[in-house]
Amino acid sequence: MVEKIRDQKLIARGLRRCSTGRFALWIVPWAVLLVFGLYSAGLCLVKGLNQTNMDNRFAFGLWIFLDLAVIALGAGAFFTGFLVYILKIRELRAVINSAVVIGLVCYSGAVAVLMVDVGQPLRAWFTFWYPNVHSMLTEVTFCITCYLTVLAIEYLPIVLKNRRLQDVPSFLVFEFQLHKLTYVLAGVGTFLSFFHQGSLGGLYGVLRGRPFAFREGIFVWPSTFFLFIVSAAAVGPSFILLTTWLVEKISRKRLVKPEVLRLLGRISGLMLAFYVMLKTVDTLIWINRTSPERGFTAFEYYSWRPFGTWILFAEIVVFGLLPSLIYLTPRLRARTGWLAAAAAMACCGVALNRFVMTVQTLALPTLSFDRFLSYTPSWQEVGTFLAVVAYGVLVYSFSFRYFRLFPEERDLQDAAPERNEADLDAELVSAGR
Amino acid sequence: MTTTRRNLFKLAGGAAAGSLLTPAPWRLITDTALLSENWPGVPRPKRGEVSYRFGNCALCTAGCAVRARCVAGQPVALAGVEAHPLSRGALCTYGIAGHHLPYHPARLRQGPVAEASAAVQSAIRTLRPNEHCAVLDLRPGRTASWTYRRAMASVRNGMYLASESNTAVDLASAKTVLSLGVPVLDGWGTPGNVWALRGGFHLIQAEPVESRTAVMADLWLPIRAGSEAALLDAVRGGSASDAAAQTGLSEQQIASLARELRENGPSLVLDRNGASPMIARREAPVPEEWKKAVPATQLASVSEESIRVLLIDESMPGEYLPWSAIQPKLTSDCVVVSFAWSKEGYGRQARFTLPAAVYPEVVDDIPPAIDSPAAMFRLAAALVAPPEGMVSPTGFIAGLAGIDAKNALQERVAAIQKSGRGSMFDPSGAAKPADLWKALQAGATWIDDREPRASVISTQIASPLADDKNRSSAPLAIAFSEPRAAALVSPLMSKVTNESGLRLGTHGVAIHPSDARGAGLAEGSRARLETASGFVTVDISVDDTVPPGVIQVGGGPDLQNVCGANRRGRVVAL
Amino acid sequence: MTSSKKTIKAARYGMTIDIDRCNGCGACMVACAVENNIPPVPQGGDRKGLTWIRVYKVDNGAQGADRRSAFVPMLCQQCGNEAPCAHVCPQNAVEIDPATGIVGQMPERCLGCRYCMAACPYHARYYNWWDPAWPAGMERTLNPDVAPRMRGVVEKCNFCHARWHAAREQAAADGKPDTEPVNYVPACAEACPTHAIRFVDLNQTSVEGFRMLEKLGTEPKIFYQSKRDWVRQIAEAPRPTANGSKQGKEASRG
Repeated sequence: MVEKIRDQKLIARGLRRCSTGRFALWIVPWAVLLVFGLYSAGLCLVKGLNQTNMDNRFAFGLWIFLDLAVIALGAGAFFTGFLVYILKIRELRAVINSAVVIGLVCYSGAVAVLMVDVGQPLRAWFTFWYPNVHSMLTEVTFCITCYLTVLAIEYLPIVLKNRRLQDVPSFLVFEFQLHKLTYVLAGVGTFLSFFHQGSLGGLYGVLRGRPFAFREGIFVWPSTFFLFIVSAAAVGPSFILLTTWLVEKISRKRLVKPEVLRLLGRISGLMLAFYVMLKTVDTLIWINRTSPERGFTAFEYYSWRPFGTWILFAEIVVFGLLPSLIYLTPRLRARTGWLAAAAAMACCGVALNRFVMTVQTLALPTLSFDRFLSYTPSWQEVGTFLAVVAYGVLVYSFSFRYFRLFPEERDLQDAAPERNEADLDAELVSAGR
Repeated sequence: MTTTRRNLFKLAGGAAAGSLLTPAPWRLITDTALLSENWPGVPRPKRGEVSYRFGNCALCTAGCAVRARCVAGQPVALAGVEAHPLSRGALCTYGIAGHHLPYHPARLRQGPVAEASAAVQSAIRTLRPNEHCAVLDLRPGRTASWTYRRAMASVRNGMYLASESNTAVDLASAKTVLSLGVPVLDGWGTPGNVWALRGGFHLIQAEPVESRTAVMADLWLPIRAGSEAALLDAVRGGSASDAAAQTGLSEQQIASLARELRENGPSLVLDRNGASPMIARREAPVPEEWKKAVPATQLASVSEESIRVLLIDESMPGEYLPWSAIQPKLTSDCVVVSFAWSKEGYGRQARFTLPAAVYPEVVDDIPPAIDSPAAMFRLAAALVAPPEGMVSPTGFIAGLAGIDAKNALQERVAAIQKSGRGSMFDPSGAAKPADLWKALQAGATWIDDREPRASVISTQIASPLADDKNRSSAPLAIAFSEPRAAALVSPLMSKVTNESGLRLGTHGVAIHPSDARGAGLAEGSRARLETASGFVTVDISVDDTVPPGVIQVGGGPDLQNVCGANRRGRVVAL
Repeated sequence: MTSSKKTIKAARYGMTIDIDRCNGCGACMVACAVENNIPPVPQGGDRKGLTWIRVYKVDNGAQGADRRSAFVPMLCQQCGNEAPCAHVCPQNAVEIDPATGIVGQMPERCLGCRYCMAACPYHARYYNWWDPAWPAGMERTLNPDVAPRMRGVVEKCNFCHARWHAAREQAAADGKPDTEPVNYVPACAEACPTHAIRFVDLNQTSVEGFRMLEKLGTEPKIFYQSKRDWVRQIAEAPRPTANGSKQGKEASRG
């Protein structure tokens, strides 16, 4: 029996997609997860943050770690935009749309979680009304809100290019006008991202009271400001690579030319190598100067189990140096499997770095009569985290199905036809129009 | 001209744009925060005229002078009175928030008064020849205590049970103090007085756990739990080697302690049950007519199964005698009535628990503390009106004997005034010295003249308790960490008990991690503490400053009841 | 009409805390809660409570009979140099008053992001994890001079700012010039039965003592005093004396 594609009119011309029923089957578990996650978040909003396991000493927990990690991973949006529109690396046009969707999903998810994480979300506008020019968090708030707007505007053309929406003339005109803005948007996006990725790092680098996190720097910017920018730029392409590879595997289609993935890998590898070098220098300065000046020899931090020196080693060497070496080895780069593995490791490395800066910083004692503390997220926190994941998968799934996320897909598809009955039917149906 | 829709839109748009140039939207935008600033459910404190009233704290016999800041007549804050010659402006952790007690959720608001009255009267009528009607007074030495004694003189086979209250300790002249687990610097005596005299004595604290007093003492001797008697024996001339074996101290330490007590005198030894030496302290004068009253009887000298009616006044916090010591003295059909603030304490065992007014609702006099060699007379503050339905213990008991005790306090004050003794401290400085009753109601303190030659009383201290003999039966030795507390403490005490690990609550106990592991308990778990006197549900803290084999307990009435006469217990997970 | 410029003589309020006189009674903690309308939060345990001043029990690191303890009241250290919390608050909800030096917290402006709590090395800031709740009837005992906070905002010691205001009003009523600093006493210093906590104007009194975490350069205005060497060493983190308890969890309570 042939599976019908009921929403064929919404799917872009020439693209093959699975049947509506199969798509629904894919969507349902994520939707259920989203509902559960919204319930968890709702509990936190209605009953208060006592629903979480955060406390006075662990003021930040799973959600802040999630925010930082997700924003670092979503950096692919700005960096790819920068590479395509400013540096004119045309090959990456194959993934720019996907990158924008990922970026949108990451940033909007992060902002949504942030609204649950603060105690008084109704006062969120206070940061704009009473800004503190000295605070990194003010900077983060401004830049992220602006950048989210930029991403939404960049997402619009992708949406408006949908087959059905293009039938509306005013949308067509609007989309065309937007097209002229692309370069401006890319530039603005890069500028904003530079600052907010940096100030997310600056959030922890300026904490004079936490010698574990505190770093010296240039002017008002601690070294973590620059390290976060570089690491975000390094992991952005990796995450795009990883997601593209994943989507290819799940949808069983070829979406980009292999050279694109290799290019992403090479860029990521170069940035990662640069990052590892900077991070090593920074760590050495921290060990030998910054931390001792504040009374701690750095290895004292690592005497608190379970955070031994293995975590530093894992972050810089295993998940930093190793993937960059894999990326930069042409023989390994030629194999998609290695690329995906390196991408996964790079993403883990950045997530680990964000974890260290948030959770480990707070776990370590600051007073001599403090204790080392442990924290495990409550199910409400995990639920909210999963809501963001589910939301991301859902938005991406719908975008992938109904919008032309991968411009090269059609050409690749024609070059290597893998047809089945349903596809034939679909072609006949679309040909009959 | 005709107005078109376009004109309207233009007008609206222009108005909107123009309004941005006025202050209106920029002011209104901050009003959107009003909901978040006036969260429903957050109480708004009432405003009113501010006034100050003086009184004295009734939570223990220190009776520290209190200055209450009142708003529209309602006390909102309590502070000490610096000029007071004894309390010196100090108020302890409990006293600082004493004004919360009337609102405590566990506070009793009603009880079976008529039933209790009927049962008691019927029992008194049918008393058999060898049976007694007894009043157990947890805070002897008050005017109310005299009322009970007078009432029991008129009631058939009336008896008045109370511990000794007319003895004191002369801390001012002591040069060396050996404290056997007594919280000298943490709620003993009158804290302000103890701190004022601190520079004059060398404090040696002998106890198994480093308590708050031990932290501040000049010397802490970490003796094994239960070895107080052995230590005392040694310093009085007994065998130092025996004592060293039992206490865990070295022979040199014991010898040096003995030498210090001898050579750096006068020395004072304190124990949870008494002191050596103690001096006799006369009471504030009483009216002559009152002296036809039964004397105080010690519970130990009462025959078994001879109490048919037991009326317990626990309406003023005091030392709880263990129920296991009281129970054998009661007949099987004994009517037990307790006048209390809450069901904790004897309310657990009494047949009738009647609600008494709590501090600071009631006027009552506070007997002097152990560290006051001279008698004192002061009244507890009555700062708020008690709710309906409260029972006055003196009214109830005096009523049984047909005595009118409503003006007992005034009669007492008249007797004091007539005696011509003593001096008065008046915190407000307002009342005329001659108007003693008025001054006392406004928070003054009458202080007796010191007797030139007070007789020295010898008391039995550091006596081994019954269950010290069977050490192996219960694994944990009991050490008290808190001064004795009332059944009700302010909900804000959670700051020091729950919200920090600073103190143990009224049901709090602390054990060493190895003991916790052995009993399958963890920090915060609930358990049952069992002793030979009974059992009580407790909250566990795990603390490695408590030596293994020791359990540190808080000071609430339930814990006093179960641990007071017993030095050993066990904890069982619930 | 001429406007005259007034030079206000600024006060720099601070405290001396004599650790040798602190017996860990906690009267300061309860008095603070009474004065500042802090609700009881017993359900939170010792990590989610509201204790603007909190007494910690510290020890010399030895075991058994050689172990010695002390009690250290910790409250907002009123940092004098670039207070970490003021620096990081995204909406300027932390205001340092130049006339008093007090680092003030504005709960009505606080968003509840808790960044200041991460920044404070003294753990002096507390978050309202629950809505404030008092047993029925106990709201009558609330202090009308201090506004209770709602849930979701951060609060901390402000040296009983309401008492400072009351002292200023009293001084004005007494006809004193408003350019002079006022004398007042916060609730904890007033309540301390052993006078371990003393409130001073550092501009008028010179004090001695050591401060917590001096290497961080925050210039706190709380001066601790003790004659015992090991007590002075707890002010530095990590502690200079080597002790084996750094592997795994530390043993101090409080």
